[in-house]
Amino acid sequence: MITTFKAKLGLSSLLILISLAAFSETEKLQEEKELEIVNFKSIKKVLQDDGLSEEAQQKEKQIVVLKKEQVKVDNSRYQYPSENELWGFVSEYWLVKNAQLLGWDFVKPDYGIEVAFRTTLEKLGFYQKRFKILLLNTPSMVRASLPGSDGEMILLLSVPFIRSLDLSKLEISLLLLEDYFRMEGGYFKKGAVTDKLTKLSGTNFHETKVDMSMVEELIKNYDQQINVKGYTFQQQFEVTKKMDAFLKGTPDLWNSYFKLLGKIDRFVKTNVQYKDYVKLYPSPEMQVKWLSPDEKVY
Amino acid sequence: MLWWLLLLTSFSFAETTSTDERVVGVFYFTPLFGHVHQSSVRTSASLTTIQCSHPLKVLESSKVQSGKDWAYVQVADHKGFVMKEFLSQKRPDCLQGKYPKFFDAVNLDLSELYYWGRLYDHYIQGETRVK
Repeated sequence: MITTFKAKLGLSSLLILISLAAFSETEKLQEEKELEIVNFKSIKKVLQDDGLSEEAQQKEKQIVVLKKEQVKVDNSRYQYPSENELWGFVSEYWLVKNAQLLGWDFVKPDYGIEVAFRTTLEKLGFYQKRFKILLLNTPSMVRASLPGSDGEMILLLSVPFIRSLDLSKLEISLLLLEDYFRMEGGYFKKGAVTDKLTKLSGTNFHETKVDMSMVEELIKNYDQQINVKGYTFQQQFEVTKKMDAFLKGTPDLWNSYFKLLGKIDRFVKTNVQYKDYVKLYPSPEMQVKWLSPDEKVY
Repeated sequence: MLWWLLLLTSFSFAETTSTDERVVGVFYFTPLFGHVHQSSVRTSASLTTIQCSHPLKVLESSKVQSGKDWAYVQVADHKGFVMKEFLSQKRPDCLQGKYPKFFDAVNLDLSELYYWGRLYDHYIQGETRVK
């Protein structure tokens, strides 16, 4: 019995060994076959004759070009926006950061300001001009004009100020036109610009740390320019003279503007809530004088 | 019996609402940020905040009156309203897409995203005509 078992065990071991040997032999043969097939040396001449090696070289070149393009695309992800784009972005960021303070997120009726202002601009020959108006529900900030992207401008105006003065649509349009000229004059950008903005805008920060202090500094300058610095007498004089020049052709508009300045002058002198207005926009009284035909102020 | 009747009615109603709604097309959102509104009013509540280049399914339904300036849209599970002037058939060139690393570094919080979207609801936008 034991002898038979030993014989069977021996036979099965032998069979296993034979099958393993056969399997490894088969694998080897396959590899050899593959090697024979992919033996480029043996078919090099055939490949050259078919122009396939040239194609392979071209593909290699294409890969190099594609890799370069990929690097370019990757680098472009680390780009600062252009100066123009940054002005528009920061203006909106400033509005978002001051949303509660400015109170622009409130329900209001359609005052028809867009049509009135657009008509005034067109009447004076300003074509293809894009603007955004944002009405504020606060008396603490009366008006401002901020730079937008692509030559657009953002005009801010306080609804409590409009109501207190009982301004008509035409008068509102004239106020907006003044702010439009201020922005065109570049006074705001001149007052708020930082060295970092000029230096970094449009550049790449790949392999360096992104410098967000550029945005923070600009936001601070916005605060200063809008709430503290305002505009100089010289800038106000230039704006008033520009208004004078453009409105002279349409006497009804000129008269409305002249009356409006007088109205604002009287209002800010008597209303404590708006006492800072004269500091930021000096001064309606002087503007009236600059416009008055009888007096010459140097 | 009454249960069966109720069930049958609810099934038929569900079928009507689902078949009545039709996808007009996929459009892209153009402002930097914005909201899908609960109703076709600028100051209505926000269902969700979306950003530039977000695709929206514009829907058409006889049961929903969106008005001439508004589109009835679907974003994920939300169905609401977006101003037509904020939609484009072409994918817009957005600041977030052009400068992704810069935009990430700004690190806007949820409140800022919300207000940025509201900003576009409140802007009175205009353009003078071509001469």
